[in-house]
Amino acid sequence: MNVIRIARLLPALVLALGACAPAGAPSGGGSAAPAASEIKVGAVLPLTGAFSASGNYFQQAYQLATDEVNGAGGLDVGGKKLQITLKILDDGSDTTKSRSLVEQLATQEKVNVLLGGYDTTLVQAQQGVPDQYKIPMVEGGGAASAIFTRGNKYLFGTLATIDDLGNITMDFLKYWEDQGKLPKPLKIALAWENTDHGKDYQAAVNKAAKDDPSHFTVVLDQSFDLNGSDFTPLLTQVKAANADAFLSDAHLPDFITMHRQYTQLGLKHKFVTYGARGPDQKGREALTSAADYLVAGLWWTPALADAGSKKFTDTWKAKYNATPDWFQALGYDTARVMYAGITKAGSLDGDKIRDALAGLEFTGALVPGNKISFDATGKPKTSYVMTQNLPNNEVALVWPSSVEGAKPATIPLPGTG
Amino acid sequence: MYEPSALAGLVVTAVLTAGLYALMSYGLALVYGVMKIINLAHAGTMMLSAFVVLSLNRTALHLDPVLGSIVSAALFFLLGMGLYRVAVRRVINAPPIASLLLLFGVWLCAQNLAYLIWGSEDQSIVTPYTFTTVDLGDLKIAVSRLIPFFISLVALAALTWFLRSTDLGKAIRAVSQNAMSARLVGVRSERVATIAFGLGSALSAFAGGLLTLLFSFNPDFGGTFQLKSFAIIVLGGLESLPGVALGAVVLAVVESFSILIPGWRGSLVNLLAFSMLVAALVLLPGGIASLLERRGQNE
Repeated sequence: MNVIRIARLLPALVLALGACAPAGAPSGGGSAAPAASEIKVGAVLPLTGAFSASGNYFQQAYQLATDEVNGAGGLDVGGKKLQITLKILDDGSDTTKSRSLVEQLATQEKVNVLLGGYDTTLVQAQQGVPDQYKIPMVEGGGAASAIFTRGNKYLFGTLATIDDLGNITMDFLKYWEDQGKLPKPLKIALAWENTDHGKDYQAAVNKAAKDDPSHFTVVLDQSFDLNGSDFTPLLTQVKAANADAFLSDAHLPDFITMHRQYTQLGLKHKFVTYGARGPDQKGREALTSAADYLVAGLWWTPALADAGSKKFTDTWKAKYNATPDWFQALGYDTARVMYAGITKAGSLDGDKIRDALAGLEFTGALVPGNKISFDATGKPKTSYVMTQNLPNNEVALVWPSSVEGAKPATIPLPGTG
Repeated sequence: MYEPSALAGLVVTAVLTAGLYALMSYGLALVYGVMKIINLAHAGTMMLSAFVVLSLNRTALHLDPVLGSIVSAALFFLLGMGLYRVAVRRVINAPPIASLLLLFGVWLCAQNLAYLIWGSEDQSIVTPYTFTTVDLGDLKIAVSRLIPFFISLVALAALTWFLRSTDLGKAIRAVSQNAMSARLVGVRSERVATIAFGLGSALSAFAGGLLTLLFSFNPDFGGTFQLKSFAIIVLGGLESLPGVALGAVVLAVVESFSILIPGWRGSLVNLLAFSMLVAALVLLPGGIASLLERRGQNE
């Protein structure tokens, strides 16, 4: 009799215990999740505010990747096709809000996985949440190496870090020195933005110069503030340094102001780069022919000739009537990597998805090399391509020489030989 | 290390930057002088004006940014007067925090309005003279930097004449020196304050429009310039237009020549500006203008 009573009371007891569970309890990890009818994917992006242009590109890219999966019947999770529900919240480009909204996705929306925000500062604000709630996150909007030095286990990046941008630039320069097109050792004037982003770049350039003094000498190593108002004193130093190459790592507004002032001061170097800046349409409009022959290191470019990149560019143009840039491509890759990780895990359990992502080798990616995998810190094992602006608003792929469609760069820059 | 031409270049840079800094600080100084309030909407006005100039440049008119800045200044003169009548005058006699918060709110509204209308992408204006330079031997001076400099000189002369020689200007000076006494002798201080706020907004808008010759901009534009304007007007003595010009020269010279300091980091340049602001507040509360006044009295 008592056994029957207890059996009758059991469902009520289970319900009561469920109601008593803390609201903020982890939703993704630990015990096996109940059989799900959908996959809840959450993302917090800057859809308004300072980074809204890029944030909206990421939103469109996440949506495109999700629509493709849902359109094909859903994502394979342990042999069962599940539809993906994408929940995107707007942080207004505010770091504090960004973190709290990711927490909201974890605790209230009970998402299974997270896709990251944009840019580095917002990703850095979000980065503690995945480990706190054991919900895996893949991000494609933060490139500072500091993101991967904090021991996070549930955070994975698809964007090659800025130190690698410095490394590939130095490899490129070394090649052209060995070809006899640039002086050896090359005298470098280096200007870097005083952020984690810029410090990565500075460290990579200085390390290359220290390791290989026969190829490189850094004759000026100077920092500048993000969103600076006047670069003329800095450029006066660059001029006085009498360098062969000018290497700077700048965000778009500083790139435009700095290169305008560079041109106005009549500066010329055999090689000029502003890191990942150069082919941006806004920059080319603002600088007109002064932007010709600048060399940039990029995570992706529509100039890539591989079949996947071409298909993506065509799809994007057809859907959004615009040419995609690296933001869209990396957003698309980021979502697809996460979905591949879920399929590999065969489960919506946070720990299992984390483990699957850690060992994933995602092929068919858009990034150079078409593969994305991660090291033990979650940092991607991906790289850059280098492009050079050509007259008439054209862009050439110039490095690595092995990449499909690559052409020799114009080195030294015209008028400096 | 530095050739004479490089040092001459630094002098020219300092002088041209001073012109730019002075131009963007006159409006702030005028509003503070008359109303004793810090116009935190100054940056928002500069930013909105930059977008107005962009829109005028991209319409069928293709207005040059200099002409666009004049149109924008006229528009913001009216908007400034409207803002004063609708909101600012209601907090003018309240504790300073009220006007600070009100105008900070106006700045935020302006930013969000700009995001709504123009989006967050960086914008810039290219003119036929963007890359044109005047060459003096090895020295190259950009025309787009010379224009704001000369306009700043003309604006200083015109403002000084206006404040000293016109009835309205004298009324503005009277209100800025002692509002109560000005009222007692028949000055309509409310009307004067309305016009002064409109004029201050017009000057901010004019400066914001001209900054498009040099910088790309987005709805966050103006914040750094506003902070520098604070440093300049504090250095200059808060209410004195010639003092503002001098404050701008001091800041520009210190910033430009800071690169000669061994081991200097360019990213510390804003720290330099704000250290000067703190030092001026502590050591020279009346600014450079008070220093010159004292010297004049002693002689």
